Amino acid sequence: MTMEVDILELSERSAKFILSNASAAFANGVRRASLSDVPTLAIDDVNIYNNTSVLFDEQLALRLGLIPLTTDIEEFVPVEECTCGGAECPACKVSLTLSAEGPRMVYSGDLVSSDERVQAADQNVPIIDLKEGQKVVLEAIAHMNYGHKHAKWQAGVACGYKNMPIVTFENCDECGACVNECPKNIIHIGPNGAEISGDDILKCILCKLCASVCEIDAVTVSEDEKSFIFTMESDGSYTVQQLIINAGTTIKEKASRLGEILESL
Amino acid sequence: MLPVRCFSCGKVVSNVWEEYKQRVAEGEDPAAVLDDLGVVRYCCRRMILSHVELVDTLAPYQ
Amino acid sequence: MAYKCTRCKRNVEIDYEYTGIRCPYCGHRILVKERPTTIKRIKAE
Repeated sequence: MTMEVDILELSERSAKFILSNASAAFANGVRRASLSDVPTLAIDDVNIYNNTSVLFDEQLALRLGLIPLTTDIEEFVPVEECTCGGAECPACKVSLTLSAEGPRMVYSGDLVSSDERVQAADQNVPIIDLKEGQKVVLEAIAHMNYGHKHAKWQAGVACGYKNMPIVTFENCDECGACVNECPKNIIHIGPNGAEISGDDILKCILCKLCASVCEIDAVTVSEDEKSFIFTMESDGSYTVQQLIINAGTTIKEKASRLGEILESL
Repeated sequence: MLPVRCFSCGKVVSNVWEEYKQRVAEGEDPAAVLDDLGVVRYCCRRMILSHVELVDTLAPYQ
Repeated sequence: MAYKCTRCKRNVEIDYEYTGIRCPYCGHRILVKERPTTIKRIKAE
C-alpha cells in the first residue's frame, strides 16, 4: 500500500495533516528530522563594540541567537560541511549589524543584514529596551547548523503526531454516560446509539474515559497503527511546506548515505 | 525582557508581549488575548503569564 | 586599571597601598570598572 497524505490545515507557519499507510518508524523519522536535521541560519557569534544597556553582553547575544532568520536551504551550508573548510565564506556565513541608541525599544527588524535574503523572520521581536543615553553597537554573525546542536537552529517547533483514534460503539443502550464523560465533547447520541460524527474523531485524545465509564462495555477505543495525525509548526525560517519537504530530503540523503556505506563494505 | 522563545517548545513568544501587556491593561481577559495572539500551548502561555518585567527596575543602575 | 567613581563620575586610579578602594577626589567608596574599548566576541548560546 502506498503512503497517503491528507492535509487538514496548511498555513505559512503551521500545518496539520494525516499520514496514512506509513510505519511508526517513518512517522517518527519525519518528526525527528524536522526538529533536528533540517539546518537553518541563526546568529552564532556576536562582536560587541559597545553595550551600555541593562542586559549583559551574553544575555544580549543569547536573545539575538534565538531570533529566527529566513533561510534558503539551497544557498547556505553548515560551516563544517562548507568547501571553504571553516574559513567562513559567503556560503556559510551572514553578517548582520545592529546599532541603536536610546531611548527606544530595539526590535529584530533593526538588524541590518549583509544579505537581503536573510532577514529576521519576525520583524517585531523585542531585543532590548534602551533607556536615555544607553547604546548598543554590535555585529552578529549567523551560521547555518542543525537543531541537534542548539535549539536556535531548530526549524520545526512543536512537531508531533498521534495515531488515528478508532472508537467503536456496539449494542449501545443510549445511557449517555460516555457523552458526559468525554473531555472533548465529541460523542453524541445518534439514531443507532452513541456515535462520533465526521472529523470529530480527530479531536479524540485516546483517554479511554468513555470506555471505562460504559457499564455494558459497549465502547472500545483503539488506534490505527498505520495512520498518524501530524501537527507541525515552523519558527519562520522556512514555510511549513518547505520544512516538511526539507525533512523528507534529509531522510532520503541519510538513507542513501547509509546505502553507500553498506555497499562499500 | 521576556525570553525570546518558549523554553519548552521553541515557539517565538516575545513578539506578542507588548500587545498582550497593552490589551490586558485595557481590561481584556488574559486567556482570550493569548488565544487571539496564537499562543495556544500551555508551555508558551506560562512564559507570558509568569513573566516579570525588570528592565525598568534595573535601568537606573549603571 | 582605570576606574570611575559613581558619585563624582571622575576617572580614578586606585592606590592600593595608601588609600585603598576610595575616590581621591570625593572619598566615595563605590568605583566601577570602565568597559574596555576592545571588541568583545562572544558565542550566542
